[in-house]
Amino acid sequence: MSSAVQIAATPLMDRLIARTVRNRRPLSVHFDLTYRCNERCVHCYLDHDDHGEMTTAECVDALEQLAKAGAFFLTFSGGEIFLRQDLKELLTAARRLRFDLSLKTNALLVTPGRAEMLKRYGVRRVQISIYSAEAAIHDAITKVPGSLQRSLAAIPLLQEQGILVKIACPLMKQNLLAYRGVMALAEQLGVPYVLDLTITPMMDGANGPLDHRVSPEALLPVLQDSALHACGTKVIPEDFGSAPVLGSSVSSGVESSAYEDLPCSAGHNSCYVSPYGDIYACVQLPMAAGNLRNKTFEEIWTNAPALERIRNVRESELPLCSSCEIRSYCERCPGLAWMEGGDLLGAYERACALAETKAKVSGVTNAKSAWHKKISVETGALPAHAGPASKHIGCVKTKEKEILYA
Amino acid sequence: MNVAASGVWQKNPALAWREIDEETVIISPGESVMHELNDTGSFVWRNIDGQLSAMDLAGLLVEQYDVTQDVALTDTLSLLEELSARKLLLPAETQGGGAR
Repeated sequence: MSSAVQIAATPLMDRLIARTVRNRRPLSVHFDLTYRCNERCVHCYLDHDDHGEMTTAECVDALEQLAKAGAFFLTFSGGEIFLRQDLKELLTAARRLRFDLSLKTNALLVTPGRAEMLKRYGVRRVQISIYSAEAAIHDAITKVPGSLQRSLAAIPLLQEQGILVKIACPLMKQNLLAYRGVMALAEQLGVPYVLDLTITPMMDGANGPLDHRVSPEALLPVLQDSALHACGTKVIPEDFGSAPVLGSSVSSGVESSAYEDLPCSAGHNSCYVSPYGDIYACVQLPMAAGNLRNKTFEEIWTNAPALERIRNVRESELPLCSSCEIRSYCERCPGLAWMEGGDLLGAYERACALAETKAKVSGVTNAKSAWHKKISVETGALPAHAGPASKHIGCVKTKEKEILYA
Repeated sequence: MNVAASGVWQKNPALAWREIDEETVIISPGESVMHELNDTGSFVWRNIDGQLSAMDLAGLLVEQYDVTQDVALTDTLSLLEELSARKLLLPAETQGGGAR
């Protein structure tokens, strides 16, 4: 049995991803505990109401089922998680079940005592949304006066407990050029940050938040910013935003060749749980696969037709996108393709427009997506009474990318 | 070798871990470092309970796998030493711990 008992070598994460994709284990789970929130961010995709959240017992049961199925990287998010009065009980359960636990919060309610509690229950990482280093901009987005000051005050409290903190900065019209300030702030605080271009519709499909989204043309200053490129611009799949950066024993990024021809991890080795027990492949792919109140997680994960449909998507077989000449510049998200265009396999305007913009920034002349080429041809063939091509396009949402300060 | 066959170990309570398809992934939150055990390593890990000694664990390996007692004990002690060095295991409070 020489070397039968051993600790395997690096890169561990790639192997773990490959194994869990191959065996369909829900390695990473995003669990929204509530949609209630103490901020009212202008771009938020949630309604902030409680339509019948799972009880403590239901949440604990869900966690037990997830652990049994192989879930390991667990992110509690919301809404604002500290509005759950039973957060301590849920953290206790997560600790007992040995999850690697991360939180997403606005941190308004983090106190020294709560920071200590998070450490005690094994929370390893906390992501906090910061929209600007200027209170006037940040607070205007959250609609809570003083919120920037309170969120920032939480960071050293968490750091003192040895908890890793990351700043997430969604970029929209209100704060597009504030990212330089956020970068400087993050460096000053000694925390990593993510600039996120993603603004999505409401979970129910309403497009209100999209009014705040920046046009591809207006993003040019960001896309051309040498400071970001110097830091190493990087694309991070949303589903593994919660995957750990684990030093030298792990692959450098959260991208993995293990996904090969798959669009992302959603439904393969990651999933989303809503406060009401709904299971989705991803929070950005709200195609209900089932509900924990009437089925077990195992039943849903193994048998749900919605998940099977998502699992069958292959990048190389996308009817239009697979032949697109500027595909390498595109961050097409299957969830947003479905939400915006109603087609899991389709192209959608935002991704195409952004890919074209990025291709142009990179020096590609006459950059045009396969979809826009197709639309051009079809528009020419349309009868005179038909509307403009843009009317047929109609989609206004994208996953886009996150720019990581490496 | 600093690990005794009679030593008793327990898992570090601060760890996160999961056995997935007979392989175990472990994260030590303080260091944010990930570790992985293969199937036999996972077998040993699964049976570390703060009660069984290294000798006991080797015995379980002999029952489970086609391996001699000597090889099983050598490999078990080696694994326990490495896990201990990585602070994934702590001496069990009973019997005064696992190190010599």
